[in-house]
Formats: sequence, C-alpha cells, structure tokens
Amino acid sequence: MVREELIKRSPLRLLEQSIHGGVGAGNVGVIAARKGTGKTACLVHIATDQLFQQKHVVHVSFSGRTDHIISWYEDIFGEIAKKRHLENAMDIHDELIKNRVVMNFSQEGVTREQLLRSIRALVEDGNFRADVIVIDGYDFEKGEVETLSALREFAAEHQLTVWFTASIHRDDPTLNEHGIPASLQRFEDQITVLITLAPEGDHLKLRLVKDHEEYREEDLHLQLDPKTLLIKEGQ
Amino acid sequence: MSDKLAKMRNIGISAHIDSGKTTLTERILFYSDKIHAIHEVRGKDGVGATMDSMELERERGITIQSAATNVEWKGYPINIIDTPGHVDFTIEVERALRVLDGAILILDSVAGVQSQSITVDRQLKRYEVPRLAFVNKCDRAGADPLKVRQQLEDKLGLNAVMAQLPIGLEDKHVGMVDLVTMKANYFEGDFGEIIREDEIPADLKDQAEEYREKLLDAASMFDEELMEAALEGTATIEQIDNAIRQAVIANELCPVYVGSAYKNKGVQTVLNAVVKYLPSPLDITNKALDLNNNEEEFITISDDEKPSIALAFKLEDGQYGQLTYIRIYQGMAKKGTELFNVRTRKKFKVGRLVRMHANHMEDINEAGSGDIVALFGIDCASGDTFCSPEMNVSMTSMFIPQPVISLSIKPKDKAAADRMGKAIGRFVKEDPTFRSYVDEESNETIIQGMGELHLDVYVERMKREYKAEVETGRPEVAYREAISQRAEYDYTHKKQTGGSGQFGRVAGYIEPNEEENYEFINQIKGGVIPQEYIPSVDKGFRSALDRGTYIGYPIINVRAVVNDGATHPVDSSDQAFQTAALAAFRSVYEKAKPIALEPIMKVVVEGPTEYQGNIFGVLNQRRGLIVASNEDGLFSIVEAEVPLAEMFGFSTVLRSLTQGKAEYSMEFAKYGKVPQSIAEELRQKYLKAKQEGNK
Repeated sequence: MVREELIKRSPLRLLEQSIHGGVGAGNVGVIAARKGTGKTACLVHIATDQLFQQKHVVHVSFSGRTDHIISWYEDIFGEIAKKRHLENAMDIHDELIKNRVVMNFSQEGVTREQLLRSIRALVEDGNFRADVIVIDGYDFEKGEVETLSALREFAAEHQLTVWFTASIHRDDPTLNEHGIPASLQRFEDQITVLITLAPEGDHLKLRLVKDHEEYREEDLHLQLDPKTLLIKEGQ
Repeated sequence: MSDKLAKMRNIGISAHIDSGKTTLTERILFYSDKIHAIHEVRGKDGVGATMDSMELERERGITIQSAATNVEWKGYPINIIDTPGHVDFTIEVERALRVLDGAILILDSVAGVQSQSITVDRQLKRYEVPRLAFVNKCDRAGADPLKVRQQLEDKLGLNAVMAQLPIGLEDKHVGMVDLVTMKANYFEGDFGEIIREDEIPADLKDQAEEYREKLLDAASMFDEELMEAALEGTATIEQIDNAIRQAVIANELCPVYVGSAYKNKGVQTVLNAVVKYLPSPLDITNKALDLNNNEEEFITISDDEKPSIALAFKLEDGQYGQLTYIRIYQGMAKKGTELFNVRTRKKFKVGRLVRMHANHMEDINEAGSGDIVALFGIDCASGDTFCSPEMNVSMTSMFIPQPVISLSIKPKDKAAADRMGKAIGRFVKEDPTFRSYVDEESNETIIQGMGELHLDVYVERMKREYKAEVETGRPEVAYREAISQRAEYDYTHKKQTGGSGQFGRVAGYIEPNEEENYEFINQIKGGVIPQEYIPSVDKGFRSALDRGTYIGYPIINVRAVVNDGATHPVDSSDQAFQTAALAAFRSVYEKAKPIALEPIMKVVVEGPTEYQGNIFGVLNQRRGLIVASNEDGLFSIVEAEVPLAEMFGFSTVLRSLTQGKAEYSMEFAKYGKVPQSIAEELRQKYLKAKQEGNK
C-alpha cells in the first residue's frame, strides 16, 4: 500500500468524522483512561498518523528517558507498516522521524512556565514548525487550569493542536452530569474533545464524551487492539 | 595458576571530564604503591615506614601516562587501563574497552550523570563491561550522591544500588557507612591511608538499615541462597558479597560507592570493591574471529597451556623505542618464542617483555593468559592480533570506519617537514582511523580522521611531541556518492589491433544497496565469463568506486550484479575484464542517478535550561534535526543529528552563546543525502577542478 492510501484508510479518519473533522487548531483533545490501559499507544498512533500526513509533532513526556518514547514510535510505526504492507517503509520512516521531536521532563513537578518556555524555545528558536503537540503523562490531579489555558493560547498563536492523555484514578470513577471524570472536571471548559478508553470484554473501547460544544456518550466504533496496540475499527 | 588468574583484574576508569578521573587514578596508584612500599621496608629492617609527602611521591615518578599500569591491592594484581576520555577517538576508546574486564564509572556528586557519562556508559554497555559507580567529590557544595544514584537508574538505565552511604556531605564529609559490613569507615593519617572502622553514627542508623535492605533486595534477585538468608535475617557478609559479585558480573547490578578522591576518602574502599566484585579474566567470555573459518566466532580460553592469542591495543613511543601493549587472551607471551601477526602474515620473535608499574618498568620473562603487558621493538599497528604460528584468529574484525573529515597541513620549514613525516608515520600506526596521503593535484599532505577535534589533537601532538610546527588548511568533509536507482549495463572492452589484444564483455546491472557499502553478485551461467575472470570483474567494479564522477568522492552503497558476458580464447585476460567492469560501471553511472551523501553526526548538547532556546537555535541554524530534548530541572540535554559540514567551529559558537556553560559531544551516525542546492555546489566545484586539472 502506498502512503496516501494508508492515510485515507486509517481508522483515525473515522474519529475525525465523529468530531467535526478534528480537534482543530488552538484546541485541546484528551484521551482519558485508567493507568495501563493503552493511553500512550493511542496517543502515539494519533501522532504517527499526523506524521504520515507530513505534519510536525512534538511529543512531550514526563518520564525518565527519551529512548522509551522513541521505541513506542518505532513499534507503532512497525505495526502500521506491517499491517498495511507499506511500500518504501524505510524511506517513509526516515522521513517521518525528521518531523518529530521528543521533549522530556525528568524532574518532578515541572512548572507551567518551564513547560511553555521549553516548547516555545523549540518552536520559535529551534524553528520547529509544530502542527501537533502530544502530551503524555500530564498529572491533571495536581495540574492547574491555567496551564491548559496558556497552552491553548500558545496553540492558537501557532495554529496547532494539542492532545493530552489523562489518568483516571481507579477508585474515583465519579462522573458529573456530562460524563466527565472527577479529575478532569476542573478542566472541562479547556477540553475541546474528550475520549475515554475503557475495557469492554476482551478489548478496549474508545468512547466520545465531549465533542466541541456538545456532550455525548457516543460509541466511536473504534477499539484498541490489545496485541498490536493499534487503534482499529470495530463494534 | 588459576588462583593467580582468578585474582587478576583488568579495569578501566571511565568518566566525564573533570569528575576526578586523574585524581582517583593517582590515588589508587599512591595507595597500592604505598602499601607495597610499607611491606618492603618492614621486610628489610623491621621498622614501620615513614610517610613522605604526596609531592615527593609524585616526583618519584608516579605517572598515569602508560596505557596500562599494574598495581597490587591486597594480593590482587590489578591492571589499570587508561581509557581516552573523548568520543572523538572512537577506535582508541573502543580498543581500550575491548581489553577491560570491568570498570569504575566516576560521577561528580554535584553534576551527576553528564553527557559524557552517558557516552562512556553507552560504550561500556556495547562491550558488556561490568561496572561499579564511584560518586566523587562528596566534599563539594551541593553534593548529593543519592540523587546521582537516581540518575544512574533514570538516565543510564542501570540497576544502581548504594553500597555505601556518605557520613556527612560537603565540608562535613568524613567517611562512609559500608552497607555490607554495616560499619562506618573513616580515613585517618596524613593521606587518609589508615582506615578506622567504627560503629555507624546513631543519626545514620535508620537510613543505613533502609539502604542495606535495598542492597540486599537487589542482590538477592540473583541469588536464591541470599534471598532465603535475607528473609530469615541471617545473611552473612560472604553470602552478600557472592550475590553482588554474580550480579555485577552478569551486568545486572551497579553498586554505588561514595567519597572524595581529592580529600583521600573512599579510594581504598573502591579498590576493595574492585577485587571483591569485578570479574577476573576467567569470568569473562572473549570472542575472536576464526579467519580460517569465514570469521566465525571463536571463544578464547584463559589457559596458559593453549596456543597464544593476544591483541595489541596500544602503541607508545617510549625512551627505548616502540612499546606495544598487549592483552593476552589465551596461552602465554614468552620471551624468545615465536608469534605471528595475523594482519601482516609475518612471524616475529618476542624480545623484551615488560610490565609497567606506577613508577618503574619491570622486565619479565613471560606473562600468562588474561594479563596485560608490553613488548619492545615489535613492528606492528595498533589493533593487530598476535597468535601462535599454528593459529589464525583475529581479535578484531578487519572492518575500520572510514574517516569523515580531512585537513591539509603544511610544515613551516624543512626541519618541521621531516619531523612531521615521522609524527604522521607514528600516528597512522597507532590509530587506523587516522590516515594521511599526499594530494596529487595540490601536492599537499592531507590528514584524515573522525572529527575536527580528532585532527586537532594530532596537530597539537605534532607540535608538542615532535616539535613539528604545521599550518593547517580548512577542514573538509568526506562526502560520498551513491546511486539512487537501478541501471543495466552491457559493455564490451575490445582492443585487438596489433600486439596482444584485449577482450572482455560484461553485462548486468548496478543498484542501490542499503545494507553495505559494496556487494558483488555473480550470476554468470554456463561459463560465458570463465570462473578465473570473475574476481577481475569484481576488482574492476571496486576500482570504479574509489572515486565517483558526480562530485569526485568515493561511491558507497552499491550492489553490482554480473549476469552475462563474453570471452575471447586468446585476448581475454584479467586486465581486460577489470577494464571492462570499470568502464561498464562508468558508462551507466549517470543513468543510475548519482546523489551526494554527507556524514551526519549525532550531537548531544548539554547545558543549563535557561540556554535551551539558544541551543535549539544554533542546532537549527546548522541544518540540525532535533531528535529529543531532556530536561531535568536546571539542566537540559538536547540530542540532534547535524551534518558534519555544519559542525566546524561549533564549540566556539556554543561557548559564546551559553557563556561557556554548555558542552557537547559528537559521534558519527550515518551518511545522509546532501540537500540539492549544496549537492549542486559540490558538483560545480568538482567540474571546475576537473576542468582546471585537464588544462
């Protein structure tokens, strides 16, 4: 399969259709789930899909090392290439990684200023024209609403989209009237698109909770394949 | 014999610049020499030795100049191998790592894991060298060895556990708690040479218990006996030591020691750890390549009775001529016996054999498996393997990376010219990644190497060691050419007018080859080209690759396939087929759409986070591709891929942009495609030079 075909047939097109064509520039999308349910895989798949479309991606993480994150991308790319029998996979791979920067913060309690300063330094001083920023492992429980609003401002200024993953606490399934988990309720206004990921039978199902101004409890007909960790279509 | 071998340690000391590698090495030499000296004096006159000052000791000639220094600690012979600090000396570093069985990784208690710590650790990992960590400079303001341990885990992915806890830090650093014996160690006497063992200070008791438990937990993962004993609370020191040793040798555990070499604290305890936990040659499997068997793996056995195998890992110019440092992997090196240099295919007799100590050189008659000694007066290059004449194995692959940068040099006067020649002759032998030739067109001497700094150091050495003043030109990047598509050829070389004729026809195709620089495939059927001329065709293609006609640089990543041809009963010859293949290649080269490639370096810049913007900026200006950035509070490490052509003068620019607070390391990553505009420039330059040459 050639690249254009692969992009067209990505299950993420289905997601875009469900959310008015995408999260949109200057907006924030969130994938929420319990720990260990495949949030990072989803995020990396979304980022990789953007990379396939020749978009520039900044991957922000808060772990110890960058090589773990890079291997996530290698794995997801490898699975996609294998599944779709991608032609010229190596060339495309080399081209893709040129448009990706991993930005990792290993210290605990990164401040809003620090986060924004570093992203700004990369985008402005480093002249890295990011189209999407994906942020993995941000602690929404300790986080501040101002961080998200500042990021949105930055995103609007540079015409880019921000995706987050959010951990939902195991013993805190409290949802409000809109179906928003407790730890994210403070951020409700800042989040444009909210998707939850939850086990259902032997697979993980993606559900749309918030889509721009609308709240719904919609089955996206997408699930995470537990074997390849790719998002795929399914009932 | 095996007891002697079991006690032997071949270790290296690896560190980031300024973490105290020199001081630690000096102190190790001092203490081991001192203890030795005390014994000697006592033996002679029965009176205890008096201490002379450290300065005097230095004047007596403790040097760390030699590539391998032999010391003895508590009856254990230890060879300390000097590991060059900078990554520019790739091959030198790799060779030194090759001969190590274990290493001490020094870290600065304030700066923690720095960019070069990461580089040296990566090298140690590549050679699977077991290691201990020594967190030095615990007397400095801001010292935090526990933070450094965390970094060893986070940044280097090591299973690092504290084997000691510091007693006091910064100016209050007086000693450490040994978590195996659960005793406090203090260092007394003028030079900290007396270790006083005492009870753990009351305020450290709880912390010591906590960390001992962590150490036992980690060690017992690799030893069931210890696990049971630890659960019952009956673990003995011996059991713990055994388990730690196993885990360290298996590269599963990195015990962390603390101290301050400069303040004479903790050096002896690290030496104790070296003999207790680091492997002897018997614990390590070393592999050679069997040249009689297609470079198949050949496991060497540390046994003096077996035929000899040794690796020459370092050459040095001594007072008495060339010293060749060797590590013996199997069998022995004996004075008067014959050895065979696998590369040159020449036999030689072992003449003078020496062992280097801290302050003297000892003549010896023989040395056994696992040992590191030096030979005098052997003509060889570094990296050569010596074997018993009946063996044909090599410790190193014959593969040597191609240099990526070249520099023209000109001696300032006639005398300098002679000395320069001598210096180059020596460097070429020492370091196969350093090369030199005289450019036919400009008649200039060109030196080539792995980076700007690599060549700078040799120019500096010419000045310092050989008193050869030279002027240098502009460094030039070693570009490469490659083809981007498959092209068919069918070429007949024919010269049959008068005298003996020449005839050869070759047909087939050339195509891009990602895996290797050059591959030749013979698909001739029915003998249309006789078997004897197939190597000639191969040779002809190889000669075509020496210099491409696109920008005038060597061609890489080519697969040449020959599948048809013709021969003439009289006029075909080796030469005819070589010429045919060469001409065939040239005839389709344009059709295969040549491209220009340039060396791309992996660059790691480390500096205070406040300068991150500048670092991103300067990398971007240099066509750099930022791969990742890693922030840890005040520090930020940025990884990028940057074309070598853009790296000239980088250190100066980086220094001025960050007030000297950032530093970088760089190593060759791969060849990458040159952007079209630059390729065009290179092409024009090449065509112009060619035209001028033809006039």
